[in-house]
Amino acid sequence: MGKTDNKEVAFFGKITAGITHEINNVLATIKESSGLLEDILAITEDDTFPHKDRFKKTLNRISGQIKRGNDITNNLNRFAHSPDYSPASVDLNEVSEQMVLLASRFARLKNVILEAGHYDESVIIKTHPVALQMALFESIEIILDLITSRGKIILFPRKTDNKYVVGVHFEDTTPDDIVIMQSISSSDRWESLQKTMVYLGGTVETDDSALEILLYLPNFIDK
Amino acid sequence: MDPLKVLLVDDEKEFVTTLAERLELRGFQVLIATDGEEALRFFDTDLPQVVVLDLMMPGLSGMEVLKRMKAIDFKIPVILLTGHGATKDGIRGMQLGAFDYLMKPIDINELISKLDDAVKSVP
Repeated sequence: MGKTDNKEVAFFGKITAGITHEINNVLATIKESSGLLEDILAITEDDTFPHKDRFKKTLNRISGQIKRGNDITNNLNRFAHSPDYSPASVDLNEVSEQMVLLASRFARLKNVILEAGHYDESVIIKTHPVALQMALFESIEIILDLITSRGKIILFPRKTDNKYVVGVHFEDTTPDDIVIMQSISSSDRWESLQKTMVYLGGTVETDDSALEILLYLPNFIDK
Repeated sequence: MDPLKVLLVDDEKEFVTTLAERLELRGFQVLIATDGEEALRFFDTDLPQVVVLDLMMPGLSGMEVLKRMKAIDFKIPVILLTGHGATKDGIRGMQLGAFDYLMKPIDINELISKLDDAVKSVP
C-alpha cells in the first residue's frame, strides 16, 4: 500500500465514519419513538386497546432490529476509524471479533458459520490495522471460495513461542478437507494475501493437519 | 416536591422532542434547545437543574457550550451525549467538568439514573 492508497483509505474511512454517525442518530430517534409508544401503551387500559399484545410484540421486534442496527453501525464505525492511526496498537482478539461481525454477511450468503475464538489473554501488537483486516478478510474469502455450504470458519488469535498468529481454521461437512487445504495456496487470492502479509512484515502458511491458514505477525512494525 | 428541571440540548429535533416527551411522562420538567446559542439562552433565563448536552452539534459545539455553562455556574451538572467511538470526547468533557456521559442511542432508565445521581452530586 503506497502513500496514495493510504490517502484514499483515510478518505473512505472519514466519510464512512461520518455516515455511521448519521445512521446512529436515525437509530437513536427510532429508539426513542418506539420507547414512547411503549410508554403510552403502558398507561393504556387493556380493555380500551384490543390489539395491545400484537402491538407489544411488534415494538419488541423494532427494539431487536434497533439493537442489531446499532451493533452493525458500531462495528462499521470502528472499522472506518481503523486508518486514523497506522501503525497502531491492536488486540488480535478484538480485531478477530470485529472481522467476524463485518464479514458475517459474506459467510451467511454461503451458509457458512463464521466465529472468533477468544484467546485467554490480550494479544496486542503494533501493526497497520487496515492491512491486518484485509489479510483476515482475504483468508476468509479464500476458504469461502473452496468450502461447501454449512461449513464453519473460526479465527483463532494466539501467541505461541513468542510468535503472534491468527489461525483461520475451517471445518467442512464433506471429507475433502485435505483437498481444500491443498487448493488454498493455488487460489487466485493467495498471492494477494502473501503481499498483504509482506506489507505487515509477516508471513502466511497453511497447516494441512490443523486445517488452518496461519497468519504470522511481528509484534511491532515501524513504518 | 417540584419536578426536576432538565435542559435537553441536541440538534436532532425529532430525537430531542421525543426524549423530552418520555421524560415528561416520568415527571420531569423539560426544556428543549436545538443549538448551542439557544441552550445558553435557556440556561441563563430558565435556570435548569441538570443539562443533557449533545457533543456533536453544528455551530457552537457541545464542548464549547459546556465550557460556557461551567464558566457561568461551575456547579451545574451536565450529562454529555456522544456518538460511536467517542469515549475520548466523553472523558475530555468530564475533565472539563461534565458529570458523566452516555452514548447514543441511550437507555432511558440509564439516563434517569444518571439524572438522579447528577442532582444528588450538587453540594
